[in-house]
Amino acid sequence: MGPKATEKKRKVQDAEPESDDEIAPDFDGALSQSEDEFDSDFDDNEHEQDGEQESGSEASDDEDEEGSLLSDDIPSDAEGDKAMGKLVLEDEEEELEIEIPGVDPKRPEKDDGDKNYRVEKDANGNERYVYDEIDPVYDSDDSDAQEAPNTIGNIPMSFYDSYPHIGYDINGKKIMRPATGDALDALLDSIEVPKGWTGLTDIHTGNPLNLNDDELELVRRVQMGMIPNELENPYPETVEYFTGIEEKMPLSAAPEPKRRFLPSKNEAKKIMKLVRAIREGRILPYKPPEEREKEEEEEEQYFDIWQDEVPQEVNPLHIPAPKLPPPGFDMSYNPPAEYLPTKEEREEWEKLDPEEREKEYLPQKYDSLRKVPGYGEIVKERFERCMDLYLAPRVRKNRLNIDPNSLLPKLPSPSELKPFPTVAQTVFRGHDGRVRSVAIDPTGVAVASGGDDGTVRVWELLTGRQVWSVKLSSEEAVNTVRWRPAKDSFILSAAVGEDVYLMVPTHASVTPALDQASRDILSAGFGYATNGQQHGAAPGKEPPAKWARPGAKLEDEGVLIRITVRSTVKVINWHRKGDHFATVSPSGQRSSVAIHTLSKHLTQIPFRKLSGLAQTASFHPLRPLFFVATQRTIRCYDLQKLELVKVVQPGAKWISSFDIHPGGDNLIVGSYDKRLLWHDLDLSIRPYKTMRFHSEAVRQVKYHRGGLPLFADASDDGTLQIFHGKVPNDQLENPTIVPVKVLKGHKVVNKLGVLDMDWHPREPWCVSAGADGTIRLWM
Amino acid sequence: MDHPTESGAQVRVTFTTQEEDIQLDESKRQLLVPADIRRYGLSRILNSESMLDTNSIPFDFLVNGSFLRGSLEEYLNANGLSLETNITLQYVRSLIPPTYEASFEHDDWVSAVDVLSATSPAGRWSGDNFQRGQDRILSASYDGLLRIWDASGNVIGTSPSGSHGGHTASIKAAKFLSSTQIASAGMDRTVRVWKYTESGESYERRGELKPILELYGHTSSIDSLEVDGASKRILTASADGSIGFWTTSKASAPEVSDSSLLPGAHTSKRRKLATSVTAAQRGPLALMNIHNAPATAAVFDPRDRTVAYSVSQDHTVKTIDLTTSSVVSTFTTSHALLSLAALPRSSASAPLLACGTSARHITLVDPRTSTAATSVMTLRGHANKVVSLAANPENEYSLVSGSHDGTCRIWDLRSVRPATKDEGGMGSVSEPVYVIDRESQQGKKKKSSVTGDGCKVFSVVWDQLGIFSGGEDKKVQINKGRGVNAE
Repeated sequence: MGPKATEKKRKVQDAEPESDDEIAPDFDGALSQSEDEFDSDFDDNEHEQDGEQESGSEASDDEDEEGSLLSDDIPSDAEGDKAMGKLVLEDEEEELEIEIPGVDPKRPEKDDGDKNYRVEKDANGNERYVYDEIDPVYDSDDSDAQEAPNTIGNIPMSFYDSYPHIGYDINGKKIMRPATGDALDALLDSIEVPKGWTGLTDIHTGNPLNLNDDELELVRRVQMGMIPNELENPYPETVEYFTGIEEKMPLSAAPEPKRRFLPSKNEAKKIMKLVRAIREGRILPYKPPEEREKEEEEEEQYFDIWQDEVPQEVNPLHIPAPKLPPPGFDMSYNPPAEYLPTKEEREEWEKLDPEEREKEYLPQKYDSLRKVPGYGEIVKERFERCMDLYLAPRVRKNRLNIDPNSLLPKLPSPSELKPFPTVAQTVFRGHDGRVRSVAIDPTGVAVASGGDDGTVRVWELLTGRQVWSVKLSSEEAVNTVRWRPAKDSFILSAAVGEDVYLMVPTHASVTPALDQASRDILSAGFGYATNGQQHGAAPGKEPPAKWARPGAKLEDEGVLIRITVRSTVKVINWHRKGDHFATVSPSGQRSSVAIHTLSKHLTQIPFRKLSGLAQTASFHPLRPLFFVATQRTIRCYDLQKLELVKVVQPGAKWISSFDIHPGGDNLIVGSYDKRLLWHDLDLSIRPYKTMRFHSEAVRQVKYHRGGLPLFADASDDGTLQIFHGKVPNDQLENPTIVPVKVLKGHKVVNKLGVLDMDWHPREPWCVSAGADGTIRLWM
Repeated sequence: MDHPTESGAQVRVTFTTQEEDIQLDESKRQLLVPADIRRYGLSRILNSESMLDTNSIPFDFLVNGSFLRGSLEEYLNANGLSLETNITLQYVRSLIPPTYEASFEHDDWVSAVDVLSATSPAGRWSGDNFQRGQDRILSASYDGLLRIWDASGNVIGTSPSGSHGGHTASIKAAKFLSSTQIASAGMDRTVRVWKYTESGESYERRGELKPILELYGHTSSIDSLEVDGASKRILTASADGSIGFWTTSKASAPEVSDSSLLPGAHTSKRRKLATSVTAAQRGPLALMNIHNAPATAAVFDPRDRTVAYSVSQDHTVKTIDLTTSSVVSTFTTSHALLSLAALPRSSASAPLLACGTSARHITLVDPRTSTAATSVMTLRGHANKVVSLAANPENEYSLVSGSHDGTCRIWDLRSVRPATKDEGGMGSVSEPVYVIDRESQQGKKKKSSVTGDGCKVFSVVWDQLGIFSGGEDKKVQINKGRGVNAE
């Protein structure tokens, strides 16, 4: 019923516009809705009546038929009642229809207009219009209502083009054409666009036509072919008036009527009718076989889509019929000699699979045309041509023939960049729990490691034999171990909690002289101790660190000095000369970075304020520069002038570690967001190259210090990646960075993989500390 | 696969050899043999009356530089040759597989092994003093003890511990000087010379090790030791990069020049070592600081005992003239070198030096300066650092290598092929003839991804008594080592 009603509604609208225009040209939009509503209601009523009338007549027809066909059957009472009910309704609605014209609002308006005044004769005998008294009811005064400002009606505005005014208002006054600004004003207007500015002019008022947001939205929706009114839901929720759900407790407890169990007589009647018709031959249930075949044949019709093709301009939508190229010289029966294939070409052509041949033929030379034999491939070629036309593609494919390999940058193959570590050759077992840090001593013979079990161990590098061990703490883990870089001593530093220990491993292969020299270096500062503390802090203030002997038990093991700072130390980095070392405690707020002087037992805190949490710090390998990494940036300070030199911004979210190239101009940064970044310090503060090859956080990055162009990173995904990173001597050239090897072997334990790594001082070997409790030597 | 020659196709072969005593007559060298014949069949033919008329010498056959492993026909097919090709077969006495014989259990890792037998150098040096049948095996362990074993696996003697005049740290190398003298060196930087005496009946003999000399001079762990019993000289290589040259005679050895090296030189050292037995303390004849990375091995020239060769982690092989303590020549290789063995050559004046590298192979170096190519051959096959090498005492062309991958491999230098592109494309390459696995790892599940984890071989010695190897599995393993000479 719905669609039909709207159809009708449209028809009504189409038929009506003349009258609408006449009455109120200006209220077109405003009123149309209410009128529509009214119309639709009206139509609905009409239509319903029609429908009901039809259905009613059908029902009666049916009944008639029923009666005629099965005269012995009496229609049931219920059915009869229903039909009666319908008829009653019909009547009522007819009554309604009679009333409807009275509701029409157009007609009374006109009538009222006529009766609004009386025509009387005045004293002079002239006609006099006597208006009725205005009854001051609620809507008698329409002065508030907006009225059409221009009364000229629906005429082309061009009539007023030559006049200074554009029409008349309700009082007969001229509506002057608003002054149009000159070009400059227009330009200024267009620059300062007021809200809702459209650039259009309302033809009736001559004012600029401004649209508010709602109107714009309306225009947009109309343009997009959507329903103009946003609030109107075209798809309302269905209301299930009649539900298919069977109630457990039906409203009526009446027993099922008998007729529900009996076969429908009405249907039986219809079927009988058909049966009779088939018997008499009026209806043929199947088509005769010949006819069916014919139909099937007819179905397979093909159309030549290029049947009436006219030559046209090339455009992307038009697909021309596939066309054979014109024959070339090589197809000639007597081609020039250079087109004839050489023996090798012929052999090569014959060797190829027919499908892979570039050309399906070979140019051949004949003395005269009559000697040319019949073309053997003609049938095949014609067939293929037909297939081409038949299977012509509807879409033109533009294939990009680029070899994917050519897009990769040209890098030397890893095998040319040997040597670099490739396999694990020694496993150092012994640590209980994670190994957090590992370091190879400056001579390249011993490996030191520290782990969660609170021990520091020293191992023989090649065999993996543990040669020394000390337990520094039973609760806290050894966070980092680092060797003092100078070769004149055998000093190991280790950080456990807030303590930094300096020790001389009592290793049998250390000569007494070297052992003594190392002890002397460590003890030398005790003479300065008091002075140093006074320098380090003002009186009354807590000194930044306490240098002390760790106690006889540890001293026996070779641990000689304990430095207690204010918070947990995570990083130790030595200056190359071995007199200074920096410690970083990320949780230490103001005192997070400390520089310790071994010869004076002095601790200084260089930064009173740091922007961000310090992660790690390192000395420049050649110049008196100091690098401090916070979570996002690396700051470079000049230690002599005491000023900030540079801020490097790797763009990583959380820096885990960095290392400075032994040449001093390059920097690698590892970050917890899985990245490894190469910085050229001279070039930019931004990374020169970003490498995102790990699936987990990068924990440690290290350059090889023994002159080999290698660097490596250790990651929580249990792998180390080895890179070839050659820094050219020429300043203008860029460094060559080639990933050469992924070293797999460490197991991932609790999402931690490789926690630290270190390079051998000379050889292309490296050691790695794993969360799986092992240290591995890769070579 | 079809075998067209089952009908009995024949191949023409030419037998050649380089061994003088088993040469064939000129007329007998060419022969038609069935194509499906194998090594055993060919060996039978050669041993038959009409050919060599010997009593079953097992032969191996070299075809074009590699050993014949299948039938002749398979060889021809694999190389794409026709059956009509004339094949030149070089026959050599075959190596017998080094079957496992025994293991001696230790308390700690075994770092070095040496053997005293009639045929071993120490046995020869002791001359008549050595009694036949009293074969002794010396093992040095990381627990700092030397042990002397008899051939049936009983410990006859043990060196005293550190507090009683023994090594104060792990021993890394030990050798018999003679049947009564032993030299050892280790992480405690000292070389110790021991007097070894035996007493008691043959079934319960007890041996006693008495320190007679402590040699000081090295400033770091001594990784390798080589002795010459005839001239009573010792050669050591230390991690401090120096090569030491020592004598075992108390009288001729110089005094220790640098007293700071002696234990107890600094009173501040907390743990003083109370030594009840004091041996004489002496210094080196010469200490040559010639390497700038840890020196890993030094050996005497097998012929000329005044010449020594040393290798180091600084990639170099150096020839040293011991009389002047000067370096004669230096050869640089491309990898850190960890072990050295001199293979005597009858054809040339200088031996061939086999150097085990950290890059898992063995490089053969010709130390003569006149030769164009220093690296003669590369032996590939190990999966880890090659830390020990020993030449076959019976011939010039085979050697055994011990590696941290837990295997000993036997190599035959006659079997060579040109190097492939992957291997550098230079020189020639050989592959092992036999691989000796650690018996202790038999049947154990491989738990580590690193080869040789837990069963590294630290030392290997080849004597006619057998191939002795000691390793991380705390065992000395003995494999049959008597190869060629069956008589």
